[in-house]
Amino acid sequence: MTAKPHLYALGAIVVLGLLAAFGLHEAVVLDLVFTLLLYAVLGQSWNWISGYAGNISFGHAIFFGCGAYASALCVTHGLSPWLAIPAGALAAAALALVTGFPTLGLRGHYFSIATIAVAALVETFARTTPWLGKANGFELPIASGWAALQFPQKGPYVVLALVLFAAVQLATIALERSRLGYYLRALRANHAAAASVGIDERRCKLIAFAWSAMMASAAGVLYAQYTLFIDPPSTLALAISIDIALIGVVGGIGTLWGPAAGALVYVVLAKAVALRFGGAGKGYDLVIYGAIICLIAALRPYGIVGTIVDALRRRRGAVA
Amino acid sequence: MSALLEVRGLAKRFGSLRALDGVDLDVAGGSLTGLIGPNGAGKSTAFACIAGAEKPSAGSVCFRGREIAGTAYHRVAALGIGRTYQLVQTFADMTVLEAVTTGALLRRPRLRDAVAHAEEVLAFVGLSEKRYRLGRALTIADKKRLEVARALATEPALLLLDEVMAGLTPAECRDAVDLLRRILARGVTVLMVEHVMEVLMPIAEHVVVIAAGKTIFSGTAADAVRDAAVLAAYLGSPLEHGEIAGHAP
Repeated sequence: MTAKPHLYALGAIVVLGLLAAFGLHEAVVLDLVFTLLLYAVLGQSWNWISGYAGNISFGHAIFFGCGAYASALCVTHGLSPWLAIPAGALAAAALALVTGFPTLGLRGHYFSIATIAVAALVETFARTTPWLGKANGFELPIASGWAALQFPQKGPYVVLALVLFAAVQLATIALERSRLGYYLRALRANHAAAASVGIDERRCKLIAFAWSAMMASAAGVLYAQYTLFIDPPSTLALAISIDIALIGVVGGIGTLWGPAAGALVYVVLAKAVALRFGGAGKGYDLVIYGAIICLIAALRPYGIVGTIVDALRRRRGAVA
Repeated sequence: MSALLEVRGLAKRFGSLRALDGVDLDVAGGSLTGLIGPNGAGKSTAFACIAGAEKPSAGSVCFRGREIAGTAYHRVAALGIGRTYQLVQTFADMTVLEAVTTGALLRRPRLRDAVAHAEEVLAFVGLSEKRYRLGRALTIADKKRLEVARALATEPALLLLDEVMAGLTPAECRDAVDLLRRILARGVTVLMVEHVMEVLMPIAEHVVVIAAGKTIFSGTAADAVRDAAVLAAYLGSPLEHGEIAGHAP
């Protein structure tokens, strides 16, 4: 019940991250840390609707894309990139509500199918719409400083990603201790029984989906400000949606630390395998990464954190 | 005593199948009413229509003087009707305490208050020691107890129990009857479906018998077992043969 261990763990991560941001100067390492935090945020965002609420989304990249495109549009129109945070969140939430409203109350896989369809639609729309940069995307003009949300070094980006990660983890800790969190878990376990104790499925899931979309959008803003170049393949593609879902599944669906663990495995594994076996265009790295994912899925279907939680429960005798 | 629940002409069709075809029943406030009938009579369907899980095709369901037929399932709980399922529907990966807390959150939005209320309900049904067990790791008897606790935690005025005794050993049945008496003493009105009449006989003031989707009897349990139509419905009826023999032209 108590949130204290989680808060201490989060505090420790923030301190370590700040030490890295201010102490390290190796761009490669800082880039890894930034990527790791960003994926952890995206994984947690996915976890709200797909983990806690149990509706698997295969289109989460479009919410990430909402933030990234909001950022690009603001900057190229001479507006502050800070404005992209609320604007992207608004667009992402609206998209989530439109996708979720007709599908989140349905049984079966309609929701997952709808997310794929809407994601494909959004990607095509971006690819063909002049004011969204078509297939070329956007290059953000170079600037510097907190007002422009751009920095010559990577340290401040790591700090920003750390702030976002901490905010998302705190929100999730709060979710687990809220009526909404209990209701989502109940709905995932048994929707009929959930209705019998007064839970409004569509309302709860729409709220979760909207929050989920807004978190992903915030990550998108940060990503655009970091890479200063966005286009449909780097922000909206199905491959990104699948990466996000994989992180959530590998780490452990519906757990507080699952997405962070999944992101760690994803970034370390993907980079390590790519360094060792990648290059030369042979694609061995992808084969090996895929095999590892399959192994985790086959041996530990509850993911890394799910397995640990189960082991703890067994020790306490919660499971006969 | 005015009726807490009044059902009139309740009908439910699934395609061309008439699962319910005119169910009438009254449940007096503070009473325990039994709903019985042979297999396939439509007991569970009637329950589902009253609880809002199914929309009735026709008829009225009046709860506390208010028409609730066709109200969305999740709103019925908020109006004050709790239920259990014939086949237990637990929140498998929640602990016992979490599941009951989920019920308590309906009237107590703050988690702290809901947990406190859930603890109280668990003590009442006798599940306190198993509060940290997962729902899926319980015995059948405990799962049924958990369902009752979860429904009670929503603080219903009317509790619908669907075969809570089925599959229990005689000792577990006695415990369940004892729990039922304490639930009534708490001021909760109970409507329970039972397939087995003997279970209901000693505790139900009033029984309603349905057969083939229709109410065929309404009265005391003692009268029910002497009623010709009830016996006919249950036994496929030697009486009918007798009637035919006696009244043959």
